[in-house]
Amino acid sequence: MGRAIVITSGKGGVGKTTTTANLGAALAQLGHTVVLVDADIGLRNLDVVMGLENRIVYHVVDAIRGKCAVTKALIKDRRMENLWLLPASQTDDKDAVTPEDMRSLIFELKATYDFVLIDCPAGIEQGFKNAIAGADEAVVVATPEVSSIRDADRVVGLLAAADVPARLVVNRISPHLVKKGDMLSQADVIEILALEMLGAIPLDDQVIATTNKGVPAVLEGKSVAAKEFIRIAKKLAGIEVEARDGVGFFTRLGRALGLSASPA
Amino acid sequence: MWNGLKSFLTGKSSRDVAKGRLHLVLAQDRTGLEGARLQEMRAEIAAVIAKYVPIETEAVEIHIETQDRQTQLTVSSTLAPRNA
Repeated sequence: MGRAIVITSGKGGVGKTTTTANLGAALAQLGHTVVLVDADIGLRNLDVVMGLENRIVYHVVDAIRGKCAVTKALIKDRRMENLWLLPASQTDDKDAVTPEDMRSLIFELKATYDFVLIDCPAGIEQGFKNAIAGADEAVVVATPEVSSIRDADRVVGLLAAADVPARLVVNRISPHLVKKGDMLSQADVIEILALEMLGAIPLDDQVIATTNKGVPAVLEGKSVAAKEFIRIAKKLAGIEVEARDGVGFFTRLGRALGLSASPA
Repeated sequence: MWNGLKSFLTGKSSRDVAKGRLHLVLAQDRTGLEGARLQEMRAEIAAVIAKYVPIETEAVEIHIETQDRQTQLTVSSTLAPRNA
């Protein structure tokens, strides 16, 4: 049985879809079978972020209504062995689907695939309830801004009430702004939200460029954001990863020998 | 430059200000208690206290704080001097 993970945030525009695409691609690269489900019915976007918009025939609402078999609505990503997309419908509204529908759909997918990543719509209404219905766990995406963190906190409360354990990804962090004292650090965000942290994605021009082309950044490999997405994917898959704190060999050696203080 | 100067003078960076604002706003969000309801509760608490000891209604203050997802509500009040 696979795992269903919902990618959510409350606030729109913080990078849920980009995170879903990149974590999915990274998990597939690690050898897992992965389905990405776009749960943003009426405002689908995961298809364009993945560059698969021209191959859609059926969508999630068709699969739920039995218009086609679930497998028939899946689009195979040809760039990789193990990655599929279940696109959202663009014409229906969020009420076309119920939480029960989603629960049984996700359950069916989990029987075949290792990971089912659900891209949640913004907001905390029906679309959110649908998206979390079938999820075993959640990744909450927040940018280091007051509005995003506030909305993330609401979502964390709702996830806790629904018994969905959540972990945090801080997106678009700019180390030099943090250093200048003009941006909340990842430690600040963790302290405020009191959530376990999966990782922090640096603000990276490469992500904008690869998204323009419909290619998840991890497929082009070398950007700082791509590296962090891969690290987070490994963590999700339960692979031990080294802490990324940007310190050099001698500092780490010093710490290992107890010569200097460990980072907070 | 200006930001740098301002934070030097006040001793607070915009990052500190953001953190402080979030702590306050999240404490309120987590209780689900909003403006009017909060004022109503304050007035009722003041009335209860006033039944037993003389207080100045305006002196009742309510603080909501959160730490690690635990929210604490504190009511504080100065008592009016006896026989006043």
